[in-house]
Amino acid sequence: MTSAPRPSQPQAADPGMPGARFIDPAALARIGDLELIARWVVEGFISGLHRSPHLGFSTDFAEHRQYMPGDDIRHIDWRVYARTERYYLKEFEADTNTNFTVLLDVSASMGYAHQSLTKLDYAKYLAACLTYFSHRQRDRVGLVTFNDDVVDIVPPSAKHLPHVLHGLDRARAGGKGSLAMPLAKIAENQRRRGIFLLLSDLYEEPASVITALGALRDGGHDVMVMHILDSAERTFPFDDASTFRDLETGVQLPVVPSKLKKEYLAGIDEHVRAMGKRLGENRIDHTLVDTSQPLDRLLFDYLVRRERLRTVR
Amino acid sequence: MSLLAPLFALGALAVVIPLLVHLVHRERKDALAFPSLMFLRRTPYPFSARQRIRDWLLFLLRSALIVLAALAFARPVVARRQAALAAGTGGQEIVVLLDRSFSMRYSDRWQRARSEVQRVVDGVGNSDRATLIPFDRRASAVNEATNDRAMLRAALDSLKPSDEGTRLAPPVALAQRILSSSDLPRRTLVVVSDFQRTSWDLTDDVQLPPGTEIRTIDVSGEVRDRAVRSVEIRRTPGGDASRVLVSARIVNVGRAQRGIGVRLEVGDREVERKSLDLPEDGGATVTFANVAVPNRAVAARIVIDGDELAGDDIFHFLLTRAPTIPVLLVEHRDALPERGVFVSRALEIGDQPAFDVLARRSDRVAPADLAGRRLVILADAGIPMGVGAQRLERFVREGGGMINVLGERTSARTWPATAKALIPGAISEPADRLGERGAVLGFVDRRHQALALFSGTRSGDLSAARFFRYRPIDTTDGVLARFDDGTAALTEHRLGEGRILTWASTFDGYWNDLPRQAVFLPFLHQLSRYAASYREQKRAYAVGEAVQPGDLVLFDRPGAANVPTRWTVLSPSGKRIAVGGEDGAPSLELREAGVHEVRPSGMPNAEPLLVAANVDPAELDFATFDVSRLTNVLQPPGSVAAPAAAADPQATLAEREQKQSMWWYVLAAAAIILFTEGLLARRTSAQRLLTQ
Repeated sequence: MTSAPRPSQPQAADPGMPGARFIDPAALARIGDLELIARWVVEGFISGLHRSPHLGFSTDFAEHRQYMPGDDIRHIDWRVYARTERYYLKEFEADTNTNFTVLLDVSASMGYAHQSLTKLDYAKYLAACLTYFSHRQRDRVGLVTFNDDVVDIVPPSAKHLPHVLHGLDRARAGGKGSLAMPLAKIAENQRRRGIFLLLSDLYEEPASVITALGALRDGGHDVMVMHILDSAERTFPFDDASTFRDLETGVQLPVVPSKLKKEYLAGIDEHVRAMGKRLGENRIDHTLVDTSQPLDRLLFDYLVRRERLRTVR
Repeated sequence: MSLLAPLFALGALAVVIPLLVHLVHRERKDALAFPSLMFLRRTPYPFSARQRIRDWLLFLLRSALIVLAALAFARPVVARRQAALAAGTGGQEIVVLLDRSFSMRYSDRWQRARSEVQRVVDGVGNSDRATLIPFDRRASAVNEATNDRAMLRAALDSLKPSDEGTRLAPPVALAQRILSSSDLPRRTLVVVSDFQRTSWDLTDDVQLPPGTEIRTIDVSGEVRDRAVRSVEIRRTPGGDASRVLVSARIVNVGRAQRGIGVRLEVGDREVERKSLDLPEDGGATVTFANVAVPNRAVAARIVIDGDELAGDDIFHFLLTRAPTIPVLLVEHRDALPERGVFVSRALEIGDQPAFDVLARRSDRVAPADLAGRRLVILADAGIPMGVGAQRLERFVREGGGMINVLGERTSARTWPATAKALIPGAISEPADRLGERGAVLGFVDRRHQALALFSGTRSGDLSAARFFRYRPIDTTDGVLARFDDGTAALTEHRLGEGRILTWASTFDGYWNDLPRQAVFLPFLHQLSRYAASYREQKRAYAVGEAVQPGDLVLFDRPGAANVPTRWTVLSPSGKRIAVGGEDGAPSLELREAGVHEVRPSGMPNAEPLLVAANVDPAELDFATFDVSRLTNVLQPPGSVAAPAAAADPQATLAEREQKQSMWWYVLAAAAIILFTEGLLARRTSAQRLLTQ
């Protein structure tokens, strides 16, 4: 693993986002423990947002818990302190109580990494953070991993955070990827409306993606799509004439990058643009995620979209 | 620029290594995994894309590094020519000395020498002039100075190596004349040779014009050669004159050789074949016994198995009978038999030449005994009555020799007045020196041909002999030796073509003890040879020697009259050479190895006289001299005071290299490039790792 500057250090240094710490994904990869990563990212993120108007905590008291360094002192229950001389925080019942299900693409193409961190690893961190975040808001959390079929399912539950994290941990990239069949299966089994977060590299035509997600959308679920791409897929930084091998199909192509680069970049940009446009037309949030991007920025984006979803609803 | 160790320059060929690295290593061997080929399409590798050199700067740095390192090891020397500096880049007078002596026939020396000259010819510019001078023992330019390369090539093609020896002085003198008279600003002397040590005959006063560049091209190398060096013919001991022993000396340069075949061929017929083992860098002698010899000389040769130098594997010689001097020894009729034993025994010894002695008492000598004799020794016998003074005088006048030994029996009766011409002067009564422990020889003319053998130190002490009695001779002319009282001991006088020696004492051991001295045998042999006008006949000559055909006649028929003066010689290659007369050469100069046939002019059917010639033995000495010695001698002294910017012309290449130390700067440049290459390679490598 290297700390050398990456070719695309994207919107990370956005000065407009207060409190963001921009944790380097490569640094997170060194930790390994998904729960620890999720706690570290989310707790830090939340602490940084204490002055944010978009705070989504409810006002219904739920329980007390002991003060931990880093907790916001505004939530210290001074009455309890007066009685016991110990710091306790008042915790409130979240007003959201929905199902939050991560749909994680584990096809072979997600195992690609130009540098150290694969797209799947990045998606795992992202899923863990968002799941943890949702769990803190009392959402029921669940997980579905799939390639061209469903691989693993953790049904949504308020107690399933450890299961989800465990499911993420054992997910391995492999197999061909296709959204249609697994999403159709998932849509059939959903009783309650909820939020579905799709993490995938979306190497399909926008129309087929819309079709696959249509079943969920039509079932009244909120669907968010995070389009995960490696920076190399976006910049194509190759020089040598080489044989390129498709990770999913194994097909090999002789390619001279210097000749094809322009054409490739135009193609991928058009694909991303078309995907965002078509999903937006279907009221599906589309977020392009570069694996070199810090995680907490995405959390911020996610929170903004959750607020918007709630407002809209 | 010259290179002191040019072989190291071959290291520059390693420049192909970075070339291959930069060409071959640029293509990925493994397929590159990629998430999806959705936006890629097949683009076949164009050939130029595979062969294109990447990282040009690195490639150039690495190539330069290798070339500079090779150059540093080759020890470069910058040759700055004084004349060129002064005159800019004007025309050049080039003189090429090409060694064509026999030793250049070895292996591929001649081909290499020609290639070198060809290269020089190719470099002749339009404003230059070149002269090609082949040389062996002599030198002559084959063309006028010209810039016509075609003409120079044609002249070069017409040359081939000769059988002659090598001398450096003639070609250098010729080159000096050409270069000195040149009006061109630059002058170059190119010497292409194997630089045999035996070819050195230069003196220190040879000077080339100032500013002349001297280039030496050495084509010598390791030599492995075997050669027949000499042949000796001796009479078979105890046999008659028609049987001889032929001994050949074979020498070997290089590793030991086993089972080398040696053949004796007489005429065109193989007489005998033997096998011989030759030691490393040594020689051996092979002997062919009991070889029959015809009456006349015939051409013969010793042939050994061939090697890389074929010309010295054959030795031509004339097979003749062992030389003999027929002698008539006359003793006084009353002499005791033991008194002649010293002379007769002394003449029995030796075979170069042998003495065929016919001993007679003075009263029994017949005129027929003189027939075929070359020498008559009168051992205190006086004029034999049966022959008479007149016949003896005629014998001497026609070229015969005579030795008069005076003793107690010498008197007016034994030497009548009619024999006055046969004695040098009046002969007195014996002088007695008994009371003084005898006389000694006080003066010996060692410069005289007859006594020159004793001129060297430790070569016979004639003064050791004691003379108790002798007969003083009244003469002042032709005295070759005197006793310590000044009286003549040995005199010579000529009569017609013949020689007469008179010895004032005896050879019987009574009047002196000379016969008991070790010097007696050579003394008597020398007197006999001289008196008989004996000349050793050469059976084999070396190429380069001169032969007088008239002498050959005299060897063949001693005392022959009416010797022709004009001759036609047929050389081994079939060339006809006129010798003698107004048009011909004064003597036959041998220029080819082989047997020459010599006939009187206008007599093509006459029985030829034969002359066998072999390669100059000096050419078989393959030792070389240091080429820098030639450069040092030829460098013009005026150039010593050249400006500091010019190279010191007297310095050898090694000295100039040492003075300039160019290799140090080249190596320093290579080190800088190495450092730069390291930095650049590291940076490039890091960037590539990052992008992958």
